Amino acid sequence: MKGYRKYFGKKILWLVITFIAALLLNFILPRLMPGDPVAAMTAKQAKGLSEASAVKAIYDNYAREFGTNKPITEQFFTYVGNLAHGDMGTSFSQYPRKVSDIISDAILWTICLQFPAIIIGWFLGNLLGALAAYIRKGFDKVLMPLTLFFSSIPAFGMAVILLVVFAINLKVAPISGGYGFDMLPNFSWNFVLSVIQHYQLPFWSIVLVSIGGQAVGMRSMSIYELNADYVKYARFLGIKDKKVVGYVFRNAMLPQVTGLALSIGTMVGGALVAEIIFSYPGLGTTIYQGIAMADYPLISGATLIITIMVLIATFVLDIIYGFIDPRVKAAQFE
Amino acid sequence: MKHTRKILSLLLALTLACSLTLVSATAETTAELPRNETLYFAGQQWGSVNGWNPLSDDMNNAMAVTQAAGGSRTIMFETLYMYNMLDGSLKPMIADGDYVWNDAHTEITVKIKPAAKWSDGTPITAQDVAYTFDTNVKLGNAKGNGYKPYVDSVTAVDDKTVLIKAKLTEDGVAVNPLQLICFLEECYVVQKAWIQTLETRCNNDPAAMKKDPGDDVVWSGPYTKYYADDQKVVLIRDDNYWGQDASMWGKLPVPKYIAHVIYADNPAGETALKAGEVDVCQQFIANIQDLWLKDNLPISTYMDKAPYGICVNMPTAWYNLDIPLLQSADVRKAIAMAVDYDAINKNAMTGQSPTFADVPRSCMNPTPGEQAAFDHDAVKDLQWVGNDIEGAKALLDKAGITDSDGDGWREYNGEKITLNACAPNGWTDWMAAMEIVAAAGKGIGIEITTEFPEWSVYQTVVTAAKQTDYDIFMMWTDSATPAQPWGRIRMLMSSEFNGVEGNWSGNWGHYSNPDIDTIIKQIPVETDAAKLKELYTEAVKIYLTDVPSFSLMYRPDKFHAVNESVWTNFPDAEDGRNIPPMDCTDGYSIAALYDLQLVNP
Amino acid sequence: MKNTIRQVFHSPKFLVGFCIFVVILLTIIIYPLINPGNPLQMIGLGTFAKPGTYVSLYDSINTETSTLKLPDADEKRVASALSAEDKVNMVNWFVAAGVSIEGLNVNDTEALIELWKASYDTAVKPSGMTKAMRNYYARLNENINASANAEVLTVTEPDESTGEPVEKAKIAKTDYVNVGDVTNVKTLPLGTDNFGRDTLKELVSACGTSIRIGLIAGTVATLIGLLLGLLGGYLGGVVDDIVMFFTNIFTVIPSFVLLILISNSINQDQRGATTVALVIGLTSWVWTARSVRSQVISLRNRDHVNLSRLSGHSLPRIILTDILPYIASYVVMAFILQVSSGILAEAQLSLLGLGPKTTEVPTLGLMMNWAMLYSAHLNGSWWAYFPVILTIAFISFSLNLMNTGLDQVFNPTLRD
Repeated sequence: MKGYRKYFGKKILWLVITFIAALLLNFILPRLMPGDPVAAMTAKQAKGLSEASAVKAIYDNYAREFGTNKPITEQFFTYVGNLAHGDMGTSFSQYPRKVSDIISDAILWTICLQFPAIIIGWFLGNLLGALAAYIRKGFDKVLMPLTLFFSSIPAFGMAVILLVVFAINLKVAPISGGYGFDMLPNFSWNFVLSVIQHYQLPFWSIVLVSIGGQAVGMRSMSIYELNADYVKYARFLGIKDKKVVGYVFRNAMLPQVTGLALSIGTMVGGALVAEIIFSYPGLGTTIYQGIAMADYPLISGATLIITIMVLIATFVLDIIYGFIDPRVKAAQFE
Repeated sequence: MKHTRKILSLLLALTLACSLTLVSATAETTAELPRNETLYFAGQQWGSVNGWNPLSDDMNNAMAVTQAAGGSRTIMFETLYMYNMLDGSLKPMIADGDYVWNDAHTEITVKIKPAAKWSDGTPITAQDVAYTFDTNVKLGNAKGNGYKPYVDSVTAVDDKTVLIKAKLTEDGVAVNPLQLICFLEECYVVQKAWIQTLETRCNNDPAAMKKDPGDDVVWSGPYTKYYADDQKVVLIRDDNYWGQDASMWGKLPVPKYIAHVIYADNPAGETALKAGEVDVCQQFIANIQDLWLKDNLPISTYMDKAPYGICVNMPTAWYNLDIPLLQSADVRKAIAMAVDYDAINKNAMTGQSPTFADVPRSCMNPTPGEQAAFDHDAVKDLQWVGNDIEGAKALLDKAGITDSDGDGWREYNGEKITLNACAPNGWTDWMAAMEIVAAAGKGIGIEITTEFPEWSVYQTVVTAAKQTDYDIFMMWTDSATPAQPWGRIRMLMSSEFNGVEGNWSGNWGHYSNPDIDTIIKQIPVETDAAKLKELYTEAVKIYLTDVPSFSLMYRPDKFHAVNESVWTNFPDAEDGRNIPPMDCTDGYSIAALYDLQLVNP
Repeated sequence: MKNTIRQVFHSPKFLVGFCIFVVILLTIIIYPLINPGNPLQMIGLGTFAKPGTYVSLYDSINTETSTLKLPDADEKRVASALSAEDKVNMVNWFVAAGVSIEGLNVNDTEALIELWKASYDTAVKPSGMTKAMRNYYARLNENINASANAEVLTVTEPDESTGEPVEKAKIAKTDYVNVGDVTNVKTLPLGTDNFGRDTLKELVSACGTSIRIGLIAGTVATLIGLLLGLLGGYLGGVVDDIVMFFTNIFTVIPSFVLLILISNSINQDQRGATTVALVIGLTSWVWTARSVRSQVISLRNRDHVNLSRLSGHSLPRIILTDILPYIASYVVMAFILQVSSGILAEAQLSLLGLGPKTTEVPTLGLMMNWAMLYSAHLNGSWWAYFPVILTIAFISFSLNLMNTGLDQVFNPTLRD
């Protein structure tokens, strides 16, 4: 276990340092955007006013409330301090809603859409890739280019095509929203059914594109492994294919597992466009609207959440990796 | 593989659990809104609702809290009068009968209907009106700040009589009587008792009072809040509404629920309209006539033929007069002459606007009332039609602005002229118009490139006291209100806004002309009709000669399209009911809610 | 080297991908020569003209006519003015308005029209009929009254001096003109977009710009990734830790978010195509750096490298001659993938409105952006967005196919 301690120790150190750097970047980058959002909020109040002093008073009021009139280092420490209490500030564009409220409303939808989509896309993709590698011959020749083509279609393209074909022309799927336009959330079966119905198109638009990418990767890894010496040896020894294959795919999956960690981290990015085209509520649309409105607290908050999710995912998967693959442990000593 | 399967099933369970927990939002409402009792809207509410407090400007509650001089939305809160932009008249709502000016034209007296009541049963009194005005001023919200310069005081003469006194100039004349009329139809009346509860709750702190979501607010309108989350907002009819008294409507409005699903963007709302999930849609839909001509959908607008609706304002291209080149009126006029306005009409408005051949340009909107305000013959020679490339070139040549180095672009003082034409990103019709202006520049040898900054950046730059970032930029003009066309002329040319930081009032190009300033001061207090017409004509002449900005198209204030798959008997141009196409909610158009019928009862 | 290249071009996958890519490149180069002009010029007034051939009506009047007596011409004419559904609706109107329809045969169009002209009244408002329906009947009435019935139509022109109409031409029902004879005929294979621009011309030009952006972005990203991967992988130790640190940060903050933030902070007037390409390149090198680094780590302890080190060769020389050739195949593949993802990233950025300026050059993403803004996908104008999606897919597909082919050449185990 001593080796593991060093391995994990190192990982945790990196986690902390990366987190701090990410925190800094999350804070600074949105504030580099041009445009003064406090001025935007003042504008709403100042309509029709022709006295400069009145406008200035309103502006100063908001600046004081948001602390934008303080030097940036002071703002940063206030920000970190507030974070420790779970307070991500108040949104500019949706004043006076709190950022944590906005994000918590949105994040549930995103996780429920993205998480299963990524996992299932990953799973199906790997399955297809493994099958293609194992069966080869005709199955491989047809499937490979097909999945490659599907993964080349841009995500928004897939979303638009699905929308046009299924929702508008064939009318078998709903056009937009998280649940039926005439429903109010409640614990009824009707509502859940409606949620699931509205879930289909965004879900499939993400899955179909990610299957392609995963299948190709898994196929290469599997082929590589299937031609390794130990496989040939085991086959010569007469060991049943089923048993050998189990080991093969376990080895092939390792890089894919790392890939999964990255995917979870970028899940919001991939679904951003799908969320916009299907008007599906979620973190992606929130970020997009935040950027359009130069809403720093909202953007900082949202990107921070994504960052934390990725860090956790990476860390968890690193640990799992350490247990699955003894080679990793050994390599740490190099 | 086994592991993945286990993980997968765990995750599926997690998903199901997640989708069910979403549901824990509220549970005391009905599961589904009955379709034939609900009127669905689109294009008004963007983003989720923050609250129901009529004193605050941050509620983002379009259906319940929207006060505008062109017609306030009186679904939940009511005003003294309702404005009808078709004929400029004010119809009494809470008020009883017409308003009365005193002889000096400095005070207005308004009576309150005996039947008018709050939702808690108490009658609406003049003290409510007075207290609301005082509170608005105290809180410094938009209505308070907006009317403080014009309204001196609002007092209760007795329980049912309100006296509104105008602010006076040194000569004892009202500063602006027109604004008093706007006040009557724009500002909500809020219950004094509730405001006092709010004050106690917030310790009389204006900022806190404006942030308060007002969940316990007392209303007087026909609807009240029912449900709100980030996907939709729903109001339910208050069957005790006082307006069913014979002195008002005599009945309740027909739909039981008013609902607005929060769509992420325009295409989503449009798709919902086509699918019949939206009954009344306030969105610009390009080529809307295709919806019924090609798609055979039961969708119609106020008029069956172009321009499909009533246009009341003019999105305008402003010249930045702080830039030396644009200080030459010839250059300004040349560019304005060269623009192909038909292309803008077809591309940007897809025909939903009268052309400048139909309604020659002026400072006035196409409505008959405003068009009658000035002498058309006197300004005929100044009104250009557009796409006059040769004329523009001749004008530039005469002014001495030519292409001396033969590169195809004209120079000014030895330097190649480059201008940028700006509109906010995402405002498609404005972006399209700017592209066409840029193309016109190319035609006459002036380099114009387009820029589409985000709205948050754009508004900061445009409203600055002085800016050199945008050369030609778009902004709107006022729509139809009781104070028009005076308000628009002031917005286009008054120099009182020059040098103001955070200027939202107008003249963003910082044009200055003492003659027009005088006219702007004279018009509101002029009572002689003939003299008034002269003043307006003179204003139009100045505008068309100096060209500090130029109108690009005519545009409605609100778009109005209805889908008749569930409800019918919406207002239209020929039905004689004189209900304006303001989405059945603004100003007098709320009368539409009382006459709706079901298609399949 | 030569052998490798021969193998590469014998690989079927690479060949197919390469061919598709070359076809696209050739189209981009040749099409502007046969169809010159500014791709951003607005030739159409109004939005989204359908694909097809547009014949100038004005010119066809003055073109030589031939007389054709086609048997079904009249039938078609009537059918286009009044569809079967329209006829049924007319009968419905008669019923709703209380007009007697005894003895009326729906298929007898003439009698139907006669009865209609006699009894239709716009003022009649049958109960239960929606306004939309009444508008429809009003339009139907206008169509019926407007459709030309005379055997010969006359085209007149106002006289220069008197303003009176002077007859210019006569058009008989049996007059036909050959499309080839008409002076002004314009074929728009993909119609026009929302601005009235020729979509196909715009598409070809946009393709070129997008590929250029992809190439710049790909080059920048590959160079950065290569450099960092080499340094980190070979030198190890502190340098490696620093490189890994930066890589981790860029991984943790999703690249698209970074992309959006950086693009947004650049003012629109400086956001030319090249700037956007640079920004994309600067945010997408992570994956290349990682894979180069892992390759270099495994190469680091090979015999020939150790030999060079013992011989005292300088660091740059070792890297150039001993390490680089072995990872060359990976670098080429990485480059191709970077180009493909660069094109996709630009398309996504433009879709969000953060792409290059709109009046200079069209890009694929910008075309999608305008199509979405004008709801092309909702009003059935498929030509405004579908070819763009297909083009992006094909470019990406061809690059990925080339990549797979190369993969097979460099990893013989993957060959089938």
